[in-house]
Amino acid sequence: MPNINIYLNSAFVGYFLAMFFYFIGLLFPTKVFPLLARFFSLAGVLLLSLYIGMRWQAAGRPPLSNMFESLIIFAWGITAVFIFIDLRYKIKSIAVLSSLLGLLALGYASLLDKEIAPLLPALKSNWLTIHVFTCFIGYAALTIGFAASLILLFKKGNIENLDSISYKMIALGFLFLALGIISGAVWANSAWGTYWSWDPKETWSLITWFVYAIYLHVRFRKGWRGKRAAWLSVLGFLAMLFTYFGVNYLLSGLHSYA
Amino acid sequence: MPIKQTKIWRFFSSIKLAIWLLSIIAALSLVGTFIPQNEDASFYIERFGSAGFNFLSKAGLNNIYSAWWFIIFLILLAFNLLICLLNRVSFKLRMLGTLLAHFSILVILSGALIGLFFGEKGYIKIKEGETINSFVSKNRLVKLGFSLRLDDFIYEEHIDVKEKLIIYAKDGSVLGELSLSQGNDLKLPGGESVRILRFIPDFSMDITTKQVVSRSSEPKNPAIEVELSASGGKDTKTLWVFAHFPDIHDALGKDYKFVYQWVNRRPKDFISRVTILKEGKEIFEKDIKVNFPLEFNGYSFFQSSYDKENLSWSGLQINKDPGVPIVYLGFILLISGLIIIFYINPLLRRA
Repeated sequence: MPNINIYLNSAFVGYFLAMFFYFIGLLFPTKVFPLLARFFSLAGVLLLSLYIGMRWQAAGRPPLSNMFESLIIFAWGITAVFIFIDLRYKIKSIAVLSSLLGLLALGYASLLDKEIAPLLPALKSNWLTIHVFTCFIGYAALTIGFAASLILLFKKGNIENLDSISYKMIALGFLFLALGIISGAVWANSAWGTYWSWDPKETWSLITWFVYAIYLHVRFRKGWRGKRAAWLSVLGFLAMLFTYFGVNYLLSGLHSYA
Repeated sequence: MPIKQTKIWRFFSSIKLAIWLLSIIAALSLVGTFIPQNEDASFYIERFGSAGFNFLSKAGLNNIYSAWWFIIFLILLAFNLLICLLNRVSFKLRMLGTLLAHFSILVILSGALIGLFFGEKGYIKIKEGETINSFVSKNRLVKLGFSLRLDDFIYEEHIDVKEKLIIYAKDGSVLGELSLSQGNDLKLPGGESVRILRFIPDFSMDITTKQVVSRSSEPKNPAIEVELSASGGKDTKTLWVFAHFPDIHDALGKDYKFVYQWVNRRPKDFISRVTILKEGKEIFEKDIKVNFPLEFNGYSFFQSSYDKENLSWSGLQINKDPGVPIVYLGFILLISGLIIIFYINPLLRRA
């Protein structure tokens, strides 16, 4: 197997430089820094895509089976989704925070065991790709929604764009989380004969989905905007983090692999 | 007074109620993830003491998700949804997404209800050669109308490339390495050949018959039987090499030292090879694997567990759930509804 870690390490450098130049751009408002940052974001995502593709080929299965592999997908998703937001809105503070969160995910991944292990029988299914991919696109969108909400909470003055980004990302994340939960249910039914078993991961994903459902309802029906809505988005993000990490490290259940 | 102006209708059509119910259900579900659910009494007594267990079981906290008060909140949510739907129902295009998304939850819940009442779910432990034609579901016997025979249970493992037999000469130099995942044969530089005859995960020897058996499938004492033949294959000897006891030597140990470097094997597949029989006639054969159940006459058979101590037993889960298609319909409606709300409606508004 060729050494594919070079792509992971280069992607890490790309992510770091993107964050660095977004940050410098915050201090020195010229056009060149955001441009550099965008270049490195894009390079980072492409390198990470290459890494994912090569790991896929080396393992002979989609690289979606443990904490390390899921963090790579998470980091990929955050930047892949964020690039579109950045091109559309060009808000520097969100750029710094989102690229920092992507970098953190990648940094955490690099601390974990990178060895390619054979798939457990329970994971040998075509649903694995669909389930993990939809969940992590959802997680990535909700993470950017959180970044926008957090900045909104500390910002004075015009927060309309931040509010709009929050909402758009939460809508996307809510849809993909629903797809993730549903694909998980269909998979569970075909593997174990039951589409819902109140496993801690399932339950927490439902709790997360409920928090965002409340967000959407108070937004649509009660007209909550701005800071009030942003607090709910932060709460939803905490629930999402617990679904992702807390359940694995603190609770036991069917999802012990990631 | 029209029904829509009654207090009760107003109560159930309020968004406030929906938010409260979602919060309460989320909070109760949360509690259920921290208290292990549906375990045996002994489990709770050991962890929380007998007073703790009494409290949990009285309050229903050891099976929250089927406790009556949890179900009541779900019913209230369903009722709330239904009334909101009736209240706001109008067949305008811009309402379509909202209607679908909310209606879908009712569809999913009714599918679940149908499964609860008309579904069957059971578990059987079956031994190779045995045939079953019924199972226990909801404390009563359900006749399948056909029978199922377990022909073979197969447990496959991944062998790591690092799991190998290393052969040293008397002076400590390495004569050769044989990786168990690659093959069984190896020619040594001196012309002798080494062959691995078999692997035993939990070595045990019957003292009276001198038969080697595996006490279980767990790798408590992994051993391999190795055959060493002199060049030309005339003089053949066999010996056992133990991973955990590298210093056990027998006659062959004089000229060589065999080291069995063992690496924990991961499960690769659990396969139940079964035959379906109807009125004594064999209908078909099938391998049931994790993720690949057998479906026949409305029943599904899932590979659910196995006996680590005795690999001739297999555990199968048997299911029949007529609610599943309805639940899946609900899934489709939900996703369509959300896509319309988030992505089609804004386009319509702009147009």
